[in-house]
Amino acid sequence: MRYLLRRIGGALLVLVLAFTAAYVLLAALPGDAVLARYGNPDLGLTADQLAEIRAAYGADRSAIVQYLDTAVSFLRGDLGYSVQSGAAVSALLAEALPSTLTLAALGLLVALVLAVLIAFTATHGSLRGGRPTAWLRSALRGLPPLMVSLPVFWIGIMLIQVFSFQLGLVPVLNAGPVQSLILPVATLAIPIAAPLAQVLIRSIDEVSAQPFVAVARSRGASAWWLLWRTVARNALLPALTMAGLLFGELVGGAVVTEAVFGRMGVGQLTAQAVAARDTPVLMAVVVLSTVVFVLVNLIVDLLYPVLDARLRRTDATGPARTGATSSAPVAPASPEPAERSEVTAR
Amino acid sequence: MPAAPRPTRRTALALGLAVPAAVTMAACGGSGSGSGEAGGEPQQGGTLTYLEPQTWSTLYPPAGGFYPNGGVINNLTDRLLHQNPESLELEPWIAAALPEVNEDATEYTFTLREDATYSDGTPIDAENVVKNFDLYGRGDAERALTVSEAINNYDRGEVVDATTVRFHFTAPAPGFAQAVSTINSGLLSNATLDRSGEEFGPGNARDIIGSGPFVIVEEEIGTRLRLAAREDYAWAPASLQHEGRAHLDEIDIVVAAEDSVRVGTVTSQQAHIARQIEAPDEAQFEAEGLALHAASTNGVNNSLSFRFRDPALEDVRTRQALIAAIDRQAIVDALFSDSYPLATGILATTALGYVDTSENYVHDLEQAASLLDEAGWEAGPDGARSKDGEALTLTFNEALPQPRSREVVTLIQEQLAELGIAVELLPGDQAAQDAARTEPGTLQVYHSMVGRADHDVLKSQLSSDNRNALLNGHPDGSVGDEELDELLAQIASTPEEEGRAEASAAAQAHVAEQAYVLPLFEEPQVFGYVETVQGFATESVGRPTFYDTWLTS
Repeated sequence: MRYLLRRIGGALLVLVLAFTAAYVLLAALPGDAVLARYGNPDLGLTADQLAEIRAAYGADRSAIVQYLDTAVSFLRGDLGYSVQSGAAVSALLAEALPSTLTLAALGLLVALVLAVLIAFTATHGSLRGGRPTAWLRSALRGLPPLMVSLPVFWIGIMLIQVFSFQLGLVPVLNAGPVQSLILPVATLAIPIAAPLAQVLIRSIDEVSAQPFVAVARSRGASAWWLLWRTVARNALLPALTMAGLLFGELVGGAVVTEAVFGRMGVGQLTAQAVAARDTPVLMAVVVLSTVVFVLVNLIVDLLYPVLDARLRRTDATGPARTGATSSAPVAPASPEPAERSEVTAR
Repeated sequence: MPAAPRPTRRTALALGLAVPAAVTMAACGGSGSGSGEAGGEPQQGGTLTYLEPQTWSTLYPPAGGFYPNGGVINNLTDRLLHQNPESLELEPWIAAALPEVNEDATEYTFTLREDATYSDGTPIDAENVVKNFDLYGRGDAERALTVSEAINNYDRGEVVDATTVRFHFTAPAPGFAQAVSTINSGLLSNATLDRSGEEFGPGNARDIIGSGPFVIVEEEIGTRLRLAAREDYAWAPASLQHEGRAHLDEIDIVVAAEDSVRVGTVTSQQAHIARQIEAPDEAQFEAEGLALHAASTNGVNNSLSFRFRDPALEDVRTRQALIAAIDRQAIVDALFSDSYPLATGILATTALGYVDTSENYVHDLEQAASLLDEAGWEAGPDGARSKDGEALTLTFNEALPQPRSREVVTLIQEQLAELGIAVELLPGDQAAQDAARTEPGTLQVYHSMVGRADHDVLKSQLSSDNRNALLNGHPDGSVGDEELDELLAQIASTPEEEGRAEASAAAQAHVAEQAYVLPLFEEPQVFGYVETVQGFATESVGRPTFYDTWLTS
């Protein structure tokens, strides 16, 4: 329980720091949201007219007063109004969230499937050694580094060019709810699947080198059985850590994906708010993504003991004990802490 | 000679770009307006899909200058007068005739047609028209509603009788007749005029009630707007191709921010028309079944304003040297297409009051070098020029709304480096650029343009009371060149047309003589469309007008 409280305290601290840092950075830039909307030469406003409007928005107050004002409203659950459009930020988010959640969840799911598929196939026992399959194995192993180096916007544009404009398989406009998700989900999944697959391949390799695997194999275990029952279970831990960290990538990917495909969502909202220096919207997005990021990583941390019996033993107060299943025997695995620090260093 | 290989490359590029562009220009029948060639009898019906690079931000007409806003407002609202996009002449619209104007242009009397109504059923009567202009002419800072830039010296509106209105001005306002024809004077229903600035923003589109040929029926914030034709529309300007309701049933306005997506969606026939086709993409519209429409914006050209009150540029010879040193033709050849004609004056050739001042913009490197020497900018051992220990370094803004501004400045950077002049580009987003724009000493050269088909546009751009592009007026209230402000004020206060044209010519001569501005090219609005789209036209500064547009089956 104390562990949980400590984690929640840390999460709150991260939230406050992220909020403050974002506010300070936005305030430090020349110009502000009111200027972004009304200072545009296209409106031809004089300096006096501009000053009047600044006063109407309260943008003429000192930065600290504005910061405290924003912080208090956020604590009360009032996210304020977009300066650019005048819409309530909560309404904008409510409209944008469902579509982004669908995109992100499907993207992550497809990425996981893709990563597991690549990793399992590339490391599958039957591909080992045999000369005819060597090229296939190296090709599969070369895939994640290639995928990780492709920029998201490039993937998106290429997918549209090929599948929509050239082949005409999926329309960009007026697509059905399923059709309209295919290309964006693929765009988002590819760069997220890549590091997952890399970590998975690496840890499968390491686990496979352990003596207990050799023992199991000598007893006649088939390649798939080995992979599934002994190796995978131990190799999942680092991949899980990675998945938590990849949430950041998911947010960044959603911004680009939604902009390229013209989908409404939190990413599109963020891109438009950045262009218009729309502080209330940006602050809400920062707070929202910080909360989710912290939550996701908290859940990942709590899942460790579920997957690894040793962690259950060392952390006797671990809250996840009850959720643990004990049917499958968990064999001694690779040294987890070393693996984790390697992942975070990436 | 180190510069030798470059012209060859430029020439090659120029040929590569110019040929296809010329073909498409011919295909769309000039750059005026109207996609032209008839494809048979207009047919009624169909949904047109129109791609916008950006989402709209407000439908409050005075703040609707931003193209995504203006494109909607132009189809949603009617105006008192209609400005013919080709002749730039004013014609009756909601006003049954051209206004009666008193001698010093301080009183305008309009007689309204009686049958026009808003889409909520309320009539366009004198009271409503006065309510419109009392708001547009004065603004309301408390509701964050701005004054219309086009309306000057507004005092009040007067209801003479149910169909007659009179507007009073505190000083001559010769630009008012044209001002009422722009989208910034789009007429709105009484209920709509009571809204606050925020209530004109996204999320409220369906409640913005105009009297135009289309009404907004559906809104998806940030991505989409659906417009439907108004069945009982019967008050289109007489010079348009037809009467009655619009040919199209619906217009689907979709935001597609990525250039390649916008271009690809149209070229693969998934959408009908897209705005803002960048010069490098124009060639793709040469293909069978596709066409381009480059609409002139009829105002101040895309140009560089030299801020002459800055110590670096206070000597007229320094400014003349910059004009001689910058190779405009090379910039247009390398970055743009034939849709972007080289500027021959500060105003577009099609703009009201245009004067050819091209003899002032001759590219001559030797001349530039000797002018710099005369002005006291001496080249150091590394070639960099300086005076009294101060290096000649110029900061340019990045004109984010203008096409390829960053590339333009980068080419100029290369060109000026040969003469030992350092060029820096001010980084940052629109808010940062706007903050720097009005602060003395931050920018020496300001890259910008303004589209508006009236003599007043020159004053809008240069006067220290308006956009102040030259930073002639400083925030402390001081004005550097009083004569310039005086000449510009003449344009906006001389009552009769002839006098305004003369005043405009005098101001243009002064600006050219003093080497205040280097006009680069005439900036168009470029639309790419599939050829099933017929009768597409733009208003006087290049915003789409879909009233006459129809689709072949």
